[in-house]
Formats: sequence, structure tokens, C-alpha cells
Amino acid sequence: MVIVKRKELSLSEKLYIPEVLRGLSVTFRKMFEPKITRQYPEEPLVKTDVTRGQPRLVVNENDTIACVSCGLCEAACPAYAITIDGGETDRAIEREPVRFDIDMLRCILCGFCEEACPKDAIYMSDELELADYSREALIYDMDKLKRPKAALQKRIDYVNRINTRWQTPSST
Amino acid sequence: MSTWEGFLIALVKTVVIFGTVVQVAALMTLAERKFSAWMQYRIGPNRVGPFGLLQPLADGVKFIFKEELTPDGANKWLFRAAPILAALPAMMTIAVIPFTPDIVIGGRNFGSLAVADLDVGILYILALGGLAIYGVILGGWASNSKYSLMGSLRASAQMISYELTLILTILAVVVMSGSLNLREIVESQPTVGHWHIWTQPLAFVMFVVATFAETNRHPFDFSECEPELVGGFHTEYSAMKWAMFYIGEYSAMTMMACLTVVLFLGGWSVPFWESAPWFVCLAAFLAKTSVFLFLFLWVRWSLPRFRFDQLMRLGWKVFLPLALINLLVTGALVSLF
Repeated sequence: MVIVKRKELSLSEKLYIPEVLRGLSVTFRKMFEPKITRQYPEEPLVKTDVTRGQPRLVVNENDTIACVSCGLCEAACPAYAITIDGGETDRAIEREPVRFDIDMLRCILCGFCEEACPKDAIYMSDELELADYSREALIYDMDKLKRPKAALQKRIDYVNRINTRWQTPSST
Repeated sequence: MSTWEGFLIALVKTVVIFGTVVQVAALMTLAERKFSAWMQYRIGPNRVGPFGLLQPLADGVKFIFKEELTPDGANKWLFRAAPILAALPAMMTIAVIPFTPDIVIGGRNFGSLAVADLDVGILYILALGGLAIYGVILGGWASNSKYSLMGSLRASAQMISYELTLILTILAVVVMSGSLNLREIVESQPTVGHWHIWTQPLAFVMFVVATFAETNRHPFDFSECEPELVGGFHTEYSAMKWAMFYIGEYSAMTMMACLTVVLFLGGWSVPFWESAPWFVCLAAFLAKTSVFLFLFLWVRWSLPRFRFDQLMRLGWKVFLPLALINLLVTGALVSLF
């Protein structure tokens, strides 16, 4: 058992006034020190490779969507924010989403969809701002979610780097 | 000077002083947030107007348009009367504070910048200052809420305890200057050497501490002790009624700062310039007052809150005997020399 003995106060501490003045001098000095406030809209958040913002769909160089509507991200989503309807396509991958909605009001930006995706089709972008005038406008459809691959490249590179870091040497 | 002229001059003085006090109260809310921000490495409100100077206006508009809630089972009349009773006494007491010596413009004497030059100014201030407790008590009681009631009970115990110290320290100054008239008290300390802060340092310290307790400010703001009592006596108040309590609190601070300056810092007396014109005197008065207003904010953002038993012990076991002894010694010395 730990017994904490109460500290015996000295006379100047019992008088309060000297200690009060000491405390006041500290706060007075702090008034002139540099401020740490970030003036948000004018000074946007510093975005790094790691920044995990809102999920976005990758659009390849030939303007096709990488998603094959397998539904793994829909299943992985803990907030049930993703809704996918699959459809056929003439492309070699045979399937692509007809509808791909993410309810940004439900999305918790956890990144599970990014981890679940087998086709590297969904990535967490560095877009963070999310404000609108209605709830409907914040249910993003495919048009709002599509981003060219180049815009997401920083995050893609980061995820690839992190994934390879934990790989054990191949047995083959 | 005809009756009408006298009436007009008094009216102008009243409007100027009353308007200034309300403005100061509004600006103090901004200053409170600004200084607290600076002391915490932040910037504070800076969006509304230049340097955020229009923030009080925006706040005021917001308060007016907010919904007013009256809790179930509240005493409707007292619930409405309490904010008024909290805001009025502080504004009324400021009427006797003399801000300048006689104002002379173009050879005409308009008298001192004070609404009233009462011979018993000190008594008037103490009498009305004692009324301020009604707003707090009625507000807490009429809300029909346990937190409000506890907050107001604490506030009343505290204000009564510290009123004694306040009165006894003021009495020491009254003994020194031989008058209850605030203008004469100021005139009794014409130069820096005559300021009562030098002759009554103990009374000065006790008076300043007692003003903090009297205005329910940190570190003695038990009536609105957030972690224990939600918001204290104004927990159930909203919108402009709530704002009235704050106007009252900030007016009381302004008033107490003025009173400190009048009693201990020579009022309008300008250091090392005895025959200063009235506007310089006014500036000196305002400068001294703002120092004490800043002290209110400074202390609030520096010190932790006392415990209630510590507050009571300090008031009854330390300040009361000290103030009595101080008064006794002062009286003895004044009558001897």
C-alpha cells in the first residue's frame, strides 16, 4: 500500500498571496508566447501520406472503374455505409457496379473497405471536408466517388509499402 | 443655471455613464475569452469584425433570438424577476462613483462626471450591493432545481461572509479620509504618496480578495461551480434571462474595480501631475480601472477554485479578525495623531 503524506505547507504557501502571484506571473508570460491555433479554412490541415480521409473509387487510366462489385467492402463495412448493385460489362472483368453508394453520414473512415478490396479499387483519399445542406446530398453515388488513380497515388503507394513491410519471406 | 439645464446635464451624465457600463460589460465578455485564449496559446474570437470586436454584438443578437425555457414547477414571477434583480444593483451603485474632478468647459463648471454626489455614497453602495444577492437567491430558488438551489445557497453564505470583510476594509479607508462621500475620499488622496494603498496595504489586499468573493468570481465562484453544480443558480436559465445574469456579473466587476480605484488608488488623481485637466483625470481613472478589470480575468484563468470550507475558513477565521484589528489600529492611530 502506498501512503502519500500530505506535504507540509511553508509559511509563504499558507499566506496564499506569494503563491498566487507566482501563478499569475506564469499565465502572464504565457500570453506572449506563440499561438498554436490553426486558422482552419485559411490554413488547411497538413496532409501526409498516412492521411486517411473519405473512401473513393479508383478510375484507371483508360477511364474504366477498377471495381468488380464483388461486395467484400459492403460486407466489411462496420457501419453499413456501402450499398452495391452489380451489373454485367463487356470488359474482360465481366462485372462492374451499376450502383455504388456510400452514405458519408454513416461512414466512420475506418478503412476496412480499403483493406477488404481484392482489386485495389477503393482507397481512402486525403479529402476530409464533409458538409452540405441536406442528408440526401451526403449519400455519395458513383459519380461523386470516382477519382482518377493519380489523385489517390500517394495513399496507394503508402498502403502497398505498409503491406509489404509485414510480409514474411516467400516459401517458393 | 436654470432647472432645465441642470436636468439636462444630469441626463447626459446618466446616459454616458450607464451606456459606458453596459458597453464595458459587453466588452468584458470578449476580453474574458480573448485573455483566456492568449493564456492557453490560443487566439480567441477573431471572426466577427476586426479582432473579433463585434463578437459581443453577435452574442447579444443570438441571446435575444434564442428560445426562453421556464422549467416545470418554477415560480414564474420570481423566475422572471431574478435576472433583473441580479443586473440592476451593480448598475445602480455605479451612479455614485465620481469619474472626474469638476468638468470645466469654456469657463463653465459642469460638476464631476458622476450621476449623484451623495454624502453617504459608501452606505448607498453597500446597501445596494447587498441587494445583489437577491437576484442570485431568487434565481436559484425559483428555478425548482436542486443544483440551482445549492448554488444560490452557497453564493448567499459566501456573499454574507465576505460583505463583512468588505465593509470593515472600506471603513478603514473611511477612517483615514474622514468622509463617506466618494468624491471627498478621492480628494483626500491627491498625490501618489497619499493613495490609501500605501497607508492601508492590508486593507487593500483584503478588499481585493473580498471583491472577488463578492462578485462570485474565480477563485470563489462556488455559486456556479460547473463540475459540482452544472451551472449553479443559472442552470435553468436560457437566452436573454441568462445573459442578464452575466451583464450583472460583469457590471458588478466594473463597479468593484471602480470602487477599488476610488478607495485605494486615488480615483482620478494622475501620478506626478496634480493639476491635470479633467480629461486626463478621466483617462487615468479608466486606466486604473482596466488594470483591476484585467486582474479579475487574469486570476480567473490562473488559479484553481477554492474548496467551500477553505473559503469559509478564510473569510471568518482570517479576514474578519485581520480586518477588525486593522480597523482598530487605524482608528487608534488616526485619533492619536
